[in-house]
Amino acid sequence: MTLSHYATLIDTMARLSLKADASRYFFGYIWWVLEPLLYVLVFYVVFELILQNRKEDFVVFLMCGQLAFVWFSKSLNQASRSILGSKGLVGRVDIPKSLFPLATIQEGLYKQAAVFLLLFVVLFAKGYTPSLVWGWLLPVMLVNYLLIVACSLFAAYLVCWVFDFHVFISMATIFLMFTSGVFWDPRDLDPAMTHWVLTLNPLAFLLDAYRQIMLADIAPNVVHLAIVGGIALLVALAGLFLLRRHSRFIALRVITS
Amino acid sequence: MLELVGVSHHYMARKNSFDHGLHHVLDNVSLCVMPGDTLGIVGRNGAGKTTMLRLMAGIIEPRQGLIRRRAGASCALLSLGLGFQDSLSGRDNALLSAMLQGVSKRDALASLDEIREFTELGDSFEEPVKTYSSGMRARLGFASGLLTRVDILLIDEVLSVGDAQFRDKALGAMQQRLGGEQTVVFVSHAEGQLKALCDRAVWIEQGQLRAEGAPEEVIAQYRQPVGAGGGSLQQS
Repeated sequence: MTLSHYATLIDTMARLSLKADASRYFFGYIWWVLEPLLYVLVFYVVFELILQNRKEDFVVFLMCGQLAFVWFSKSLNQASRSILGSKGLVGRVDIPKSLFPLATIQEGLYKQAAVFLLLFVVLFAKGYTPSLVWGWLLPVMLVNYLLIVACSLFAAYLVCWVFDFHVFISMATIFLMFTSGVFWDPRDLDPAMTHWVLTLNPLAFLLDAYRQIMLADIAPNVVHLAIVGGIALLVALAGLFLLRRHSRFIALRVITS
Repeated sequence: MLELVGVSHHYMARKNSFDHGLHHVLDNVSLCVMPGDTLGIVGRNGAGKTTMLRLMAGIIEPRQGLIRRRAGASCALLSLGLGFQDSLSGRDNALLSAMLQGVSKRDALASLDEIREFTELGDSFEEPVKTYSSGMRARLGFASGLLTRVDILLIDEVLSVGDAQFRDKALGAMQQRLGGEQTVVFVSHAEGQLKALCDRAVWIEQGQLRAEGAPEEVIAQYRQPVGAGGGSLQQS
């Protein structure tokens, strides 16, 4: 399979899946924006109305972190089960198994484009105006994407080996939601702890980078961003290699699971 | 074109937690398919026929033995009901199916009208596959598989369903392809089809090759009610 056919296939699978998904729901494509908004609403009710959080512009702060986090967690959870979920195709054609997680991630990427657009509209309405610093959003999004690919390929591989692993993935996502500063600001901690949270958790670093760029007009730490991106790229390549090397073994696991 | 040398296959499937149930599927099977051959496979349900086709297609690997395929030979496995996305239309499924078979998007799009015509599904071709009957699914599966040009066509009971008119049409289309260079391996429970299409047949029983030769002879052996050995075929 040539690289261009591989890429076209990922794109076609993602588009068809979006189409199928939209046809299943009464509200169809509206869910792309409605779902993240509902997420934000839940957090708003809990933190702003019930717990009376006094942080300035908390809803905007929340959206910047939450919407990027949901992109990561949903893609990871769906992609990790995508190979097992395609039993029919896996048992019928000898195709690269990485197609399934990558198509799922691609689907998430298209939805996320709509979500970011929504975020920009809200930011604009709240009086935040784009500056040149906002150009840093592109590399941050790219690294975010690479992180999703790296985690998803490995997770999909492990779930095919031992199905029990998917329980662990759901747990890990919840753990990450609480430790990545989705609804709290790592910069409010004492400086040593802020440093550790941002260094050890690449997702916390990325969420913080989004906020720094859009809310404070501050560019992210380039070296840190490059290191996270580089490691994610290496892990993603290793995941591709594993899925390719054990392609037929994975097929057997999926068919007989 | 395709050769199996001493192929054995087994796999683990858990029945309970902490258990590794071992299932033997094929046991030391050797056979050879020449270019342009049409090989029929008969055997009872669970004898290992589908696994054998999957091994031939390179979807899974044998635990022991070798499978040699001519370098660069493309291969397609046609099986029933699998691999369709239920919420997508017949058209979208046919497109995906062709692309997964290695056809470029442009060629796949160009072949869709031909596929639609062959399936005779009419407007249903644009409807989601979840509304299809099993016969309609078989039509879609057969048409999208057959119209994709591959060197080795592996057919798993696809021709056993569908109404008589479509079966005849599919059989006709197959025969047309068989005249040329097409290599086909064909699993069926329909005696008439096997005799009409195949040059050679093999009988698989409990993972082992029990007979090989002219279709009439192999089928006659298969039908002999010797203990657990014989099976039944549909007269068609």
